[in-house]
Amino acid sequence: MSGDGGRTLVTAAEPAALERVHALLQELWQDAADVVAQDRIRFETAVTEIAGNIVMHASDGRPHDFTLHVTARPDRIEARFEDAGRRADVDLTAAQLPDDLAESGRGLALALAASDELEYRRDGALNCWRVMSKRTP
Amino acid sequence: MIRVDTDVEEGVAVLQPQGRLTMVTAPQLRQVVAETVASGRPRIVVDLSATEFLDSSGLGALIAGLKTARQGGGDLRIACLGPQPATVLQLTNLDRVLRPHASVAEALRVR
Repeated sequence: MSGDGGRTLVTAAEPAALERVHALLQELWQDAADVVAQDRIRFETAVTEIAGNIVMHASDGRPHDFTLHVTARPDRIEARFEDAGRRADVDLTAAQLPDDLAESGRGLALALAASDELEYRRDGALNCWRVMSKRTP
Repeated sequence: MIRVDTDVEEGVAVLQPQGRLTMVTAPQLRQVVAETVASGRPRIVVDLSATEFLDSSGLGALIAGLKTARQGGGDLRIACLGPQPATVLQLTNLDRVLRPHASVAEALRVR
């Protein structure tokens, strides 16, 4: 998961992990200073929602970690998450925004809207998420 | 941290979340709104000028605050959004429910 100029984080799946994800992305933007602000905003928005989803839903009561690897390429920015938590019960083709006054349930719909590709698969005992944002030419 | 300014008008409070409004800090915003409405200030402006980042948990806290304020006979309005919170509001279509205002003064003025 290295050698591609990317950055990797391994962290406990706890709310404070969101701040570590933010710090990792700050490092990525230092490495890839030419990524424009709107591309950074959409990517960080999507990545933060997936991290939040893992923190909220992947635990079955036991503490666990997740790994996040981010890379910036000339045409795209990509994030790959892996965690050994519970299988995520998601159908990304059906994720939609809830009623206007709902207080939760927007995370995956927001991640989908903010990214260009969002994938989830279960690989053995691992949850694998991929977020991809195309860069503004 | 959330700065609270109750010195604007009677019945009004301006809340200013500092930094990132995410799963980590959203519960605090819900609590501050509830306490502010309970203390007789149901007209709330959330000044987002110092809020660098908003996620779906932060949005949920704003919606919860809107409902709490309305139940208390007031309203909750948002002002001074930076580019990331504005993008999140647009992508979730919540800019119809929580209309962004350019300033705290405008948020208080508009009926």
